[in-house]
Amino acid sequence: MTDTPETELLDIPDGDGEAWNEYALKQGWGDGMPLAVPTEAAVEKFVAVCRGDNQPFAPISPRQVVPTLKSLAANAVMAGCKPEYLPVVLAALRAVLTPDYNLHGTLATTHPCAPMLLVSGPIRKALDINCSSNCFGQGWRANATIGRALQLILLNVGGARPGEMDRATHGSPAKYAYCFGENEEESPWTPYHVRRGFATGDSVVTAMAGEAPHNINDHGSTSGDGIMTTIENTIAQSGANTIYGKGPYVVVLGPEHAGTLHRDGWTIESMRDRLFEQARVHVSRVSKENQQSYAEAGHVPVNDHYKIAPTPDDIHILVAGGPGKHSAWIPSFGGTAVPSVRVAGG
Amino acid sequence: MRIVNPTFGVSAAGGEAVAVKPVDWRTDAVAMFSNSKPNARELLEGIRARLADIRSVDNIEFVHKNSASQPAPAELIDAVAGKYKGALLAIAD
Amino acid sequence: MIATETFRPLVLAQAKARKIEPRLIVVKHPIGGLNAQELAERIATATAGLTEATSL
Repeated sequence: MTDTPETELLDIPDGDGEAWNEYALKQGWGDGMPLAVPTEAAVEKFVAVCRGDNQPFAPISPRQVVPTLKSLAANAVMAGCKPEYLPVVLAALRAVLTPDYNLHGTLATTHPCAPMLLVSGPIRKALDINCSSNCFGQGWRANATIGRALQLILLNVGGARPGEMDRATHGSPAKYAYCFGENEEESPWTPYHVRRGFATGDSVVTAMAGEAPHNINDHGSTSGDGIMTTIENTIAQSGANTIYGKGPYVVVLGPEHAGTLHRDGWTIESMRDRLFEQARVHVSRVSKENQQSYAEAGHVPVNDHYKIAPTPDDIHILVAGGPGKHSAWIPSFGGTAVPSVRVAGG
Repeated sequence: MRIVNPTFGVSAAGGEAVAVKPVDWRTDAVAMFSNSKPNARELLEGIRARLADIRSVDNIEFVHKNSASQPAPAELIDAVAGKYKGALLAIAD
Repeated sequence: MIATETFRPLVLAQAKARKIEPRLIVVKHPIGGLNAQELAERIATATAGLTEATSL
């Protein structure tokens, strides 16, 4: 990133879209894909949507600067958002700025975590956020650009430039954009945000520094117990960060798996308890050197097993996705939390 | 063309550079502060052992974060600042 | 501060953000994953850097 003048407005060379993108990428402002131009007029349309949201923002790591509503809106414009997406982007930013989220650590780490954004509540439908088939994938403007806008904010305002302040060994495709909606309509259980204390009519963004989704394929099991066996053994990985860097994870049940589990009497609580106990790694699958390293850090096996989650409360279960016999496991960075923030006006 | 600066923000650190107090590395108490990554403590132990040839190491002590992935708590930093004149940080690997 | 050469830019960028000028001792990357023999080289480099930087 070049040393940009510290003024809120910049006069830059005139030019067409290609010239703008060349200029912006040269400044280090982008993720490699084309960017929209954050003109004053475009930014003003976004800011107008958020009038009245005057709660200040904390400084953004690692650069430690306090953003303005205009600089945040500029990044949303550049990401390709519609103006009405900005309140969701701001809620996402507030979530990752929650101290327990550990934004600095999650940005500077060598681990391939990205800010996973889960959107719950009525704003999913109002903004056409995909909650169903291919919800982690391409094709929906809201999913793609809300996730991208947060990443651009962390890059441009926060200064998390890849290879400099963002030290990820490999990174992840999830670092381009990682936003999806909860499939509340096909969930047999209470919506995730309501379980976290919000009202049904609230719109809420939940964030976690997570790896890209890991697939859990189970076409053969016809019982909830069978599906739980597949899920717990998929999660039980020796290379999971949380085997020693204690932290949360998310299980995204596909609606068909969720239906079978619910039919057989599984509740969110009973699934969390089962995964807490059974998603574990036998010591024989962990190198001697790692066993010693974990012991020095106070992580010792219980009954010859390492657990993947510190407590059942660190296991977050919800329904998203469309038809098919798949679910997903989203491991976290480890030293992080899963904050939920209500969308202002949502 | 006029645009809104996407990097704009107000520095939280203020305008003044942080002053560092002088340390006498031959005698002062020093903290060997580990980021808790693998081999960080071993690195610091090795340095302390070599320093024993040059100075007394009785007041060179080890400190570490609880987790490599989380920042050092403010209380720990305050405690180190209060007890030691200097600190050697194994910080970035 | 001891940093590996690979992480030197991160430390400098962090220091700039916090308006501090760290006294930096740079050693080869990595530290993690080295055996005792390999780590000895890093210890020697870091100790030499410390004695030079502090006039020990």
